[in-house]
Amino acid sequence: MDIKQAIIIVLSGFVGSIGFSLLFRMNKQKIIFAAIGGGLTCLVYVVAFNFSEKSFFQNLFPALFATAYSEILARLTKSPSTPYIAISIIPLVPGSKLYYTMYYLITDNDLAFKEYFLETLRIAGGLGVGIILVSVIIREINYHKFKHIYDME
Amino acid sequence: MNTETKIDNEEMLSLAMDIGKSMIKCGAEINRVEETVIRICYAYGMKQTDIFSVISMMFATTVDENGKTYTQTRRVMSYSNNLARLEKLNSLSRKICASPCDIEEARKELDEINYEKTPFHVTALLGNMIAAGAFAIFFGGTILDSAASFLIAVVVYLMNTMIKARGMNKLFYTALSSAVAGTLAFVFVKIGFGNNPDLIMIGDIMLIIPGLMLINSVREMLCGDVMSGLLRLLEAIIIAASIACGFAVPILFFGRLGW
Repeated sequence: MDIKQAIIIVLSGFVGSIGFSLLFRMNKQKIIFAAIGGGLTCLVYVVAFNFSEKSFFQNLFPALFATAYSEILARLTKSPSTPYIAISIIPLVPGSKLYYTMYYLITDNDLAFKEYFLETLRIAGGLGVGIILVSVIIREINYHKFKHIYDME
Repeated sequence: MNTETKIDNEEMLSLAMDIGKSMIKCGAEINRVEETVIRICYAYGMKQTDIFSVISMMFATTVDENGKTYTQTRRVMSYSNNLARLEKLNSLSRKICASPCDIEEARKELDEINYEKTPFHVTALLGNMIAAGAFAIFFGGTILDSAASFLIAVVVYLMNTMIKARGMNKLFYTALSSAVAGTLAFVFVKIGFGNNPDLIMIGDIMLIIPGLMLINSVREMLCGDVMSGLLRLLEAIIIAASIACGFAVPILFFGRLGW
């Protein structure tokens, strides 16, 4: 990936995040922080892309970053982290891959279907694992605070 | 707690469940919803609370200090992403947990959040257009492709909101608006407004494809809510299939024509 392509991805990821935060009716004062998160996540993706050829790892590291960024921002702005995670991660969400999977399924292209299906699974797995890892760590840090609730179960 | 005598536990559970239901409708993850209900019940002095929830159904039983049990269920019919409302629900539940207030007071606040008027969705429309334009470029389109995608997003958005209001089958209207968007993309390229129909389409596909739903389903399964995650995953795949069916019609038709 050359530098021009990388800049295009980061910038369009940033603008796309703004679009989605309006679409999901995010709180107006917080849109800019979430969108910056989207842009930075794309930047991490570009770096990870040049480090590894495996799409699982290409998406794991941006997800780790996006979740950590969102959790920090959520603490700073005293609001839940879910909206920030959703908007930061959205440029990497394998929407197009999922679409192509189903498109090749209904147009009898078995080889391409298999390829896109596995790719979708890898990307979704990478992003999911990345988000969960950070969430687990945050929960461990907060454990003493909500101990009484976890112990009720 | 001096308000203890006034609290009706049945109403309290009802409030907690309604907050949970509203959260699911705004697109919250299941474990967050379950935790919220448990925390509210705990804040009002319940000894034990058991809840099971999937995206379309919630059950909860709570036991008070006298050993009396209360059980309620909720059915959730439709859900979408509304992050601002989710945030308000979250702060309401936090407020209740910090200082358990009168049930009626909390109920009033919940109603205010739920029936808050959303004016004509100019910002949502704008968001659609910006996102579609940006993602056409993200996947390697030209400026012209982006502009075409930007315009088609208006049609997608209007179709989705107008047909949704009529209560039509979700899969059908998704396929219908996909077919219209695909046709428009080919027409735009034919008249010279745009270069690659597939890249124009991908911008608009990103708006309606349940990508975030897919990620959330994986997250839920990894958190242990396998049931809810599976339901979400299947729904995402089915919606994606209906989008693919919709776009396949113009792609195959115009492909045969040689456009």
